[in-house]
Amino acid sequence: MSLTILQSGTQTLIMDAGRPGHRHKGIPGGGAADKLSFAIANHLVGNRWDTPALECALGGLHIRFERDTRIAISGAEMWAQNQGLNLPMNKAVSVEKGNILTMSSTRAGCRAYIAIAGGVEGHSFLDSVSTYLPAELGGLEGHALKIGDVVPLGEPQGPSNSLPHGYVPKLSNHIVLRAQRGPEWNNLSNAGKRYMFTTPFYATAATDRMGSRLKGDHITLDKPVNMTSSPLLPGSLQIPSDGKPILALADGQCTGGYARALQIIQADLWLLGQIAPGTAISFRRSLNEESAAILKAKNAYYADIIPGFTF
Amino acid sequence: MTPSISPYGDHALYLKWPTEGYSEEVNITIHALAAHLRKGGKYIDVVPAYDSLLCVFDLGAYHMDEIKRHVEDALIRNKVKPLQTGKTVEIPVHYGGTDGPDMQTICEHSGLSEAEVIERHSQDSYRVCMMGFIPGFTFLSPAAKALHHPRLATPRALVPAGSIGIANWQTGIYGLESPGGWQIIGRTPLSIFDGKRDAPFLLKAGDQVRFIPQ
Repeated sequence: MSLTILQSGTQTLIMDAGRPGHRHKGIPGGGAADKLSFAIANHLVGNRWDTPALECALGGLHIRFERDTRIAISGAEMWAQNQGLNLPMNKAVSVEKGNILTMSSTRAGCRAYIAIAGGVEGHSFLDSVSTYLPAELGGLEGHALKIGDVVPLGEPQGPSNSLPHGYVPKLSNHIVLRAQRGPEWNNLSNAGKRYMFTTPFYATAATDRMGSRLKGDHITLDKPVNMTSSPLLPGSLQIPSDGKPILALADGQCTGGYARALQIIQADLWLLGQIAPGTAISFRRSLNEESAAILKAKNAYYADIIPGFTF
Repeated sequence: MTPSISPYGDHALYLKWPTEGYSEEVNITIHALAAHLRKGGKYIDVVPAYDSLLCVFDLGAYHMDEIKRHVEDALIRNKVKPLQTGKTVEIPVHYGGTDGPDMQTICEHSGLSEAEVIERHSQDSYRVCMMGFIPGFTFLSPAAKALHHPRLATPRALVPAGSIGIANWQTGIYGLESPGGWQIIGRTPLSIFDGKRDAPFLLKAGDQVRFIPQ
């Protein structure tokens, strides 16, 4: 049993919770870029939170279901229709064999997650089917889904769930990310240090799952940093000598050689998945004790609702 | 030599050794420590680099102070076993031309002819000091001093797979097509990483690499 891709959209990928633990080999953890919305979609259709689902960036996707099933869509606010009828987001709905789902008009965010009861199947590499395009890992032969692809579906795991009010995050096209100073923070000029937390940046067209080049006030360095290649994480903000910051995202490279000015806190990493070209981004300073408390509160908030899920 | 230890964001701890340039001794220490830390299952990732180490953990499960104590303890107790010298791999390289768009930059900066740059770059064998960046990216021990050059001010959107570049004293191989800021002087047709092969990686830290100009 399967679904068929009729239009692939901007980029549609098979994703699960990723393959952590291999950064020392140059393989990023990857996985659903917005882990929270991915977990919500799965939970709604009665799947374990980390069941493989479709990650649809910026819409344009048309799929046909080849069997009766249940689906739920979470994440970026898109116009979803089944057989031309509007579908609510963040709610499990039934679809019938032969039905065509269309995703279009992204109003907020970047990536919507389409979870199907029982999940989708893909090629596993290091215990994950998450698609990693640079090395053609996971997914269907490591590629983004394309017209005519047939994606196998798994066996439904349990009945659908609903979410109590207040558990669906409200996405905005101005994302505020809480961050702490990176190892090369002190290489920034005084103006650079000041602008970092006071002016907004904008994600440029050079934005994908690996990273986003930002536009905004140039963040200048006091002296050129001739760095030895050093580790990087998703949420690390690098400043090349041209002063245009690069924010590493879910598939961010494992090491880098430009000044690392900031690191986004763990509790806010899921938001990186909703950065689209044009998204405004502000950085807010966070202190260590504060960020541990934020994470604890967020984990506790979802702990009783989505079993096993943590930020 | 002892590293400085500091938080890296709220969910990682960063160790940086105060080397001036490259130190093989420090790099071997880092790999040994990383292998030791990886055993306990406490860390999501332990990422060794030339002169630094990043220990990534789940802030929901551990406190930063607890991780810091654990790493400090490991630093004291860890006996450095020399990294096993691995296999030697010969890498054919097409230097210059469209395969090495930054060859002229390196020639002008060093005052060497292209033939001299090729000779200096391929005369010694290199040690694989770390794998990183993206799958298959191979970071090697220092290139000859005359070839040292900073990265591009603006990284390229796409560097072809197999490209061989210079970044300051470092030299290395882009395992896959990717964005990148190194000065590219040549390219190898060998595939360093292929997820569909039984052994996806051609190289690992500790191996020796020798470039063979074509």
